[in-house]
Amino acid sequence: MDAILAFLTVFTRPDLFALVALGTFAGVYVGAIPGLSVTMAVSILISFTFSWDVLPAIALMIGIYMGGVYGGSRTAILLNIPGAPSAIATALDGYPMARRGQAGEAIGITTVMSFIGGFVGIAVLAVAAPFVSDFALSFQPRDYMLLAVLGLLLVGSLAGESLVKGIFCGALGLMLGSVGMDPLTFTERFTFDLPLLQSGISFIAVMIGLFGVSEALSQLHDIDKAAVRQTIARIVPSWSTVRKHLPLSMQTSTLGVIIGALPGTGGDIAALMAYDHAKRVTRNPERPFGDGAIEGLVAPETANNAAVGGAFIPMMTLGIPGDAVTAIMIGALFIHGLNPGPMLMVEQPDMFWFIVGALVLANFCMLLFGLTGIKLFVKIVEMPRTVLVPLIMLLSIVGAYAVNNSITDVYWMLGFGVFGYFLKLYGYPLGPIILGVILSRLLDDNWRRAILSERGSLGDFFIGMVTSPLSLVLFLSVIFIFISQTPPWKRWRQRREALRAKSDPARPAAAKTSEEKI
Amino acid sequence: MAARRARRPGEAMFTALLLAVSLFLLWSAFGISAFESLSSPGAVPMATTFAMAVTAAIVLFKTARSPAAKGEKIGREVLPPPVAIFAVMLVAYAILLEPFGFLPTSALFLVVSIKLLSARSWTYAAAISLLSLTLIYVLFRIVFTVLMPPGIVPEGEILSAIRGLFSGGL
Repeated sequence: MDAILAFLTVFTRPDLFALVALGTFAGVYVGAIPGLSVTMAVSILISFTFSWDVLPAIALMIGIYMGGVYGGSRTAILLNIPGAPSAIATALDGYPMARRGQAGEAIGITTVMSFIGGFVGIAVLAVAAPFVSDFALSFQPRDYMLLAVLGLLLVGSLAGESLVKGIFCGALGLMLGSVGMDPLTFTERFTFDLPLLQSGISFIAVMIGLFGVSEALSQLHDIDKAAVRQTIARIVPSWSTVRKHLPLSMQTSTLGVIIGALPGTGGDIAALMAYDHAKRVTRNPERPFGDGAIEGLVAPETANNAAVGGAFIPMMTLGIPGDAVTAIMIGALFIHGLNPGPMLMVEQPDMFWFIVGALVLANFCMLLFGLTGIKLFVKIVEMPRTVLVPLIMLLSIVGAYAVNNSITDVYWMLGFGVFGYFLKLYGYPLGPIILGVILSRLLDDNWRRAILSERGSLGDFFIGMVTSPLSLVLFLSVIFIFISQTPPWKRWRQRREALRAKSDPARPAAAKTSEEKI
Repeated sequence: MAARRARRPGEAMFTALLLAVSLFLLWSAFGISAFESLSSPGAVPMATTFAMAVTAAIVLFKTARSPAAKGEKIGREVLPPPVAIFAVMLVAYAILLEPFGFLPTSALFLVVSIKLLSARSWTYAAAISLLSLTLIYVLFRIVFTVLMPPGIVPEGEILSAIRGLFSGGL
């Protein structure tokens, strides 16, 4: 009964209802405007909402998250510029459709599929999270530590151009998270006797710098790319089109939830994998993939929205973020005095059901805003970057200042902005850094607890790890990610692909084009 | 995979810098509690900085071996003039923010940056800046009640005077 009431809070309190709706609306536009990302918006928003009560703040952020993941598809379809990384795969078939004058149809099917995917994600979250949380109560400190390492490795290996750079960034994030006083022994770490480093580096400053300023600086490279106008006719897709693609949408939604639920991987990876899956299972698409196949829209869009619900599973049950946005959400919960993890589900189940309710509402709002207001949308998206980029910079500075009213945070933020710009330029992924900062404390505490419980013996620690089934699975997963990135493994994969190509001549050409485009 | 990609201008230098910083941090992490015990406060920092140093070294090795990108110049692809100018302007903004206050500094920043980027008239830049600054101010200062450095404009007093006017009128 309490759960139902908590679930309905967002529907019964007009202020929360309005915030979710507003957040989703804003999210659709934030996601759609190239240069504005959901991660950026949520990280800037934390600094502005930290004085609010927890429920309104979370309501707004959930709206933005849900709307933003969907919104990225808009510009991918209309301009061939994915508004968010999770929409990269959408551009592959969405833009060719728009060029043929089917922009409206593409937007319509994308919206409905995002809605379906979103629901599958939320349903899985609602059903699975309580079980995962119960299960998580039996987790040992070493399991948490392994999960954190696994998350960092996953995001490092899949998001960037190489695992080595991903590991570097994850380790850098862990290091940044440990700056300041050690909470257990009050030893100073990386403070260099500077008073300003003793309380650590504000993770909000790091976040806004990496996702706000560095992105804005990168945008300066192609500031004068002109927007292309598209004609939009019919938007709401026919029932027969939706029904025809329902089976595929269910498969890719499931894939999306699973990838979203893995610590460290989110909508962007889910979308690309779903696109690949759709190409494998669709034998006779009406149009070839890459040339406007509807399946090429259905798969990534269901998967990236399903990943939203999925990403909340490890966040709520283990306190381990599912992707960069949930990493920031965890930060927001910390600021509001909540501690995500299995105990949150035991002590404050209402919070969980409130979030589920807010996600459901956001999903409905997304459907509504997605199928309406296209004219306004086209106007806003055409906002020149010459105005947008200075505004992002301004908001980043104000946001960094607002948290502690401290100009030092602004300098940190700018420093990380410039650093992040160069990292991006040279192919380093930024996601693992923020994940590392958020996971630093969890990893450090749990490692020390784990090794203390084995009385400091590394041998006993390893024996404990291989004798517990869960730890063993996690440990083997960590090892597997390492091995899968080594040259011998890659050579073996290539040989296997070549063999498969010989037996199925239709496949290699398609696989090749997708790789080139991605 | 880094080896397959062409080396961008400045990349080797940047990676070398990352390696140097990682080694310095490793040394600093060693200073926390050396090899005292596996559960010491310095254990995880040492592991992370060690990972940073090793990975930076691998990246540097791969970067050094990869061919330089043809036709890319440091002043064009890596640090084009707009990026350098904006980095300087951001620092100037941050320095001026506290003494001058949010409103004048932001107005100046927006006008100059929009003028620079759009190459349109000063009137256009000023009009757009004023409009966006008003929106930001209303949204963040009044709706989100975020505190900004007031500086030379007594905006707090003006706001409370306006509020007083409204509450008096109602």
